[in-house]
Amino acid sequence: MQQTAAYWLEKIQHLELPNRVRIMNVCGGHERTVSATGLRTALPARIELIAGPGCPVCICPEEDIYAAIQLALHEPITLVAFGDMLRVPVNLPQREIRTLLEARAAGADIRAIATPLEALQLALAEPKRTVVFFAAGFETTMAPVAAMLAQGAPDNLLLLLSGRRTWPAVSMLLESDNPGFDALIAPGHVATIMGADEWRFVPERHNIPTAIAGFRANTLVAAIYSVLRQIIGNQPFLDNCYTEVVRPGGNSYAQSCLARVLGIVDANWRGIGIIPTSGYRLQPEFQQHDVQAHFPQYADASRKRVGKMPAGCDCARVVLGRINPNQCRLYGVACLPAQPVGPCMVSDEGACRIWWSNGIRNNLRAGTRKAATHG
Amino acid sequence: MCLAVPMMVRSTNGFMSTCEAMGIKREVSLFMLQDEQIAPGDFVLVHVGYAIQKVSPTDALSSWELFDEILAANA
Repeated sequence: MQQTAAYWLEKIQHLELPNRVRIMNVCGGHERTVSATGLRTALPARIELIAGPGCPVCICPEEDIYAAIQLALHEPITLVAFGDMLRVPVNLPQREIRTLLEARAAGADIRAIATPLEALQLALAEPKRTVVFFAAGFETTMAPVAAMLAQGAPDNLLLLLSGRRTWPAVSMLLESDNPGFDALIAPGHVATIMGADEWRFVPERHNIPTAIAGFRANTLVAAIYSVLRQIIGNQPFLDNCYTEVVRPGGNSYAQSCLARVLGIVDANWRGIGIIPTSGYRLQPEFQQHDVQAHFPQYADASRKRVGKMPAGCDCARVVLGRINPNQCRLYGVACLPAQPVGPCMVSDEGACRIWWSNGIRNNLRAGTRKAATHG
Repeated sequence: MCLAVPMMVRSTNGFMSTCEAMGIKREVSLFMLQDEQIAPGDFVLVHVGYAIQKVSPTDALSSWELFDEILAANA
């Protein structure tokens, strides 16, 4: 039987901890559990829980969103995307169309979907309509996208592929001069698809204690307890605290779909830059679904701040876990869920949005008074 | 975006199924669970309309408690 979160918290209270322990999660779902349960305040003050790169919408290339907007505005197509993507602004002056939602208001045919199956059904129902599926997401989401194509999709369904892989971002941090964390909570649903073993490199190559966690408070606190024990014993290993669904090798059929449909490429992360082997491209067999082969003219590298985060926005540093959301000077001041500046305040997986939704109102850069007025 | 919900399989038709969670029914693809035996009454973990893993009834029910908490927090 599984122990409760209170059981693990009690055990953590009795550990002899080092002065400072920084534990990073790389999943918006984990951050939501951490924030919603008030785990940061329940743990000893020496433990810092850091929200790392866990939001695919937040790092979705700005140039891809721009291309999606321009395509939808200028071509006779239907553009579909997961709902979060519709409100992320690109770097254009305020008077111009900056989000997919604004493009829809201007007459473009843009629809929010909840599953790749909706994109498929739309394309099947209207064979003469070109449907462009703007697909962002980590491995958990890209596996269903790959499965949809592997099963068979009509040629009028095109993909604007902005999927990313999580472990290369963690690897990039670990290879840097200052990784910024002492232990890792690995993402449970990425590991459900790709397997626990994909995260072995973290303890084995970098000596960083690692535990895969689920999304309930008890498995998350169990994973925190595990990495703390690993730190204290100086014996990093890969612990799987989400054995309910995470197998060592993952879902091998899902992986076979990914491998058949998608190849691996170096890819851009918004505001961060190119991360080696962190992106996907369609395999030659599926090239007929590549939107860039049909509409190459919508990549515009000459715009100001192309690919960057918005001016003044610290989302890139938030995504990398370099700062907390409320250390961005825009947090809760110019940037709010109703009028987001940066993508981390748009997406339900974004650390800023999660912190704000859970009542954190103090902006450490701008002062509490100003931020609190926006309630 | 990697949020996944455990759902109970109500019926199957080839790779498609009708699944239910907390009174809500959805069409769910079982395409990625071809290596598993899935029958009505089983629980699967569903992400963006696709079942990504089979789960035990106990784990499914305790996850629903989490979603109740998330819904309450966002209400």
